[in-house]
Amino acid sequence: MTYVVTENCIKCKYTDCVSVCPVDCFYEGPNFLAIHPDECIDCGDCVPVCPAEAIVPDTELTEAQKPFLALNAELAESWECITEQKPSLPEAAKWDGVAGKLEHLER
Amino acid sequence: MTNPAKYQPSEREQAFLSTVENGKYNRGIVTGIGKFMSGDVPEEMRDFYSADELAALTELDGSQRDVQARMPVKITRHYFEQAKKSRPMQVLIKASPNETADLEGAEDPGKQMDYSPVEGLIHKYELGLIYVASTCSAHCRFCYREELIAKKEVTRPDGTVAPKGLARIEELVPYILEHNRLVAENGGRHPETGREKLREILMSGGDPMVLGNKNIAAWLAALAEAGIESIRIGTKELAFFPDRFDETFMAMLDRFHETYPEVNLRMMVHFNHPDEFLKKAEDGSYIEQPAGGLEWLDNTRAAVRRLRARNWINVDNQAPIIKGINNDPDALRVMQRELKRSGVENHYFFCGRDIVGYKAFNVPIEEAWQILNESQKGLSGVETHARLSITHYKGKTEVAAVTNEPIPGLPGAENGVVILKLLRSAADAPDRAKVTIVGRNPEAIWFSGYDDRVLFDEAGLYSIYGIDLLARSNAA
Repeated sequence: MTYVVTENCIKCKYTDCVSVCPVDCFYEGPNFLAIHPDECIDCGDCVPVCPAEAIVPDTELTEAQKPFLALNAELAESWECITEQKPSLPEAAKWDGVAGKLEHLER
Repeated sequence: MTNPAKYQPSEREQAFLSTVENGKYNRGIVTGIGKFMSGDVPEEMRDFYSADELAALTELDGSQRDVQARMPVKITRHYFEQAKKSRPMQVLIKASPNETADLEGAEDPGKQMDYSPVEGLIHKYELGLIYVASTCSAHCRFCYREELIAKKEVTRPDGTVAPKGLARIEELVPYILEHNRLVAENGGRHPETGREKLREILMSGGDPMVLGNKNIAAWLAALAEAGIESIRIGTKELAFFPDRFDETFMAMLDRFHETYPEVNLRMMVHFNHPDEFLKKAEDGSYIEQPAGGLEWLDNTRAAVRRLRARNWINVDNQAPIIKGINNDPDALRVMQRELKRSGVENHYFFCGRDIVGYKAFNVPIEEAWQILNESQKGLSGVETHARLSITHYKGKTEVAAVTNEPIPGLPGAENGVVILKLLRSAADAPDRAKVTIVGRNPEAIWFSGYDDRVLFDEAGLYSIYGIDLLARSNAA
């Protein structure tokens, strides 16, 4: 099992999750974070701290969220590991909750 | 919650931390019965639960007897590979409806929350216990830290209710420094509590070994800087995922030792059964090595060797005696012999705690003593260092002896007695090594099973609760 970062992280990237992850399994892209599914140890500590409520266990993904399982795995392989919290993206508050953000994902 | 100032590592600390690399691990963890239900697990794991077992478990979902709500199912690939061939390991790792068949028991029988001055710290002795991780690589079904692992809310001594939190370096270090300053100023004892200097910290959780090397290193260095002389890491990772003890971890430890050469590391490991670390032949038997001893799993043996090759690291095993897992003298005999042979000290065996939903696992105290005693027959003196311990509010207590003979003329001792000896005593250890003697009750799983038959109570294990000696209550 793994936890999965889903669409509402895009263009927000709050990184509160990074500060609580015990195993440093978050990987950082330009405007999104990804969890490495093999490294995640299923503690769930990141779920309640995400201001965008973007992190979901893989067993509770909605149909629309399911593609994010493979997307996390793929992006975590190509991005750098992030271990310390940093400021969110400047327009995070504006984008939090906006639908259809997947098209804005930068790789 | 207060927000203390951000912790500032010293230059020495930063120099050490800058050398630490995180390893990469694929534990192949499967979490949740749902994964087995849907078949969303590697093919070899699909039969780990039978259809009947899955149906019986899911039937309880959402009810008071919800087994998964008590403790989520979680297993690593390594543990699965061994458990396939081991009934005891299956009992340890597979959820069962029996777990919630009887929901009696206490929330916090050791009353540990009474000893928690800052979040995530239990400060009972000169040793402090800290919670640094809220999960493990896999979940023992008998886990008594279920409130932390399953993120349940607990009632604090002040009446507030909240989930148990983890310790934070920026809170813990100032507490240790202040405690030790007061102790030093007051001639070696804390002016109010009488406790000694905090010399030793046990990192626990959860399992600290799930943390990355950088996180572990930050804790080790911060504790060393705060003046802690010995650091314990309580872990079951040698059984769940021995590859975690890899060269990146050892390199971190070596740099730590170079930076803080006087600080000892004590790995408190947790093997319940020799099936967790020994290879098995086709017929299920262990494999004798021509040169002596039994054959270990290669990666477990390598991990132990790496640790023991460093003379500043001790490795001690401690484990509860659990029904269906290791209430087996032959298994415990093999385990004690093989651990000692590989340089792992046998420290404690524990009686199970009388917590909620725990009765499925409890072996009665007297039976546990007999099992351990039987297991130690045929072992040499150095192989029998382990004692049977039960955790009293006052401190760790040894179940020292169980007699079969009555004590002539002593009412209540007709069926023999149980001799309990306080090994540790909280604060300034006033009652260390004192003894309590109770009349036998083969059904007892906790101290309370002897409330009506206390014969002698120098240790005060019962008088602390206002429970009188049998002789005096009979006279009244």
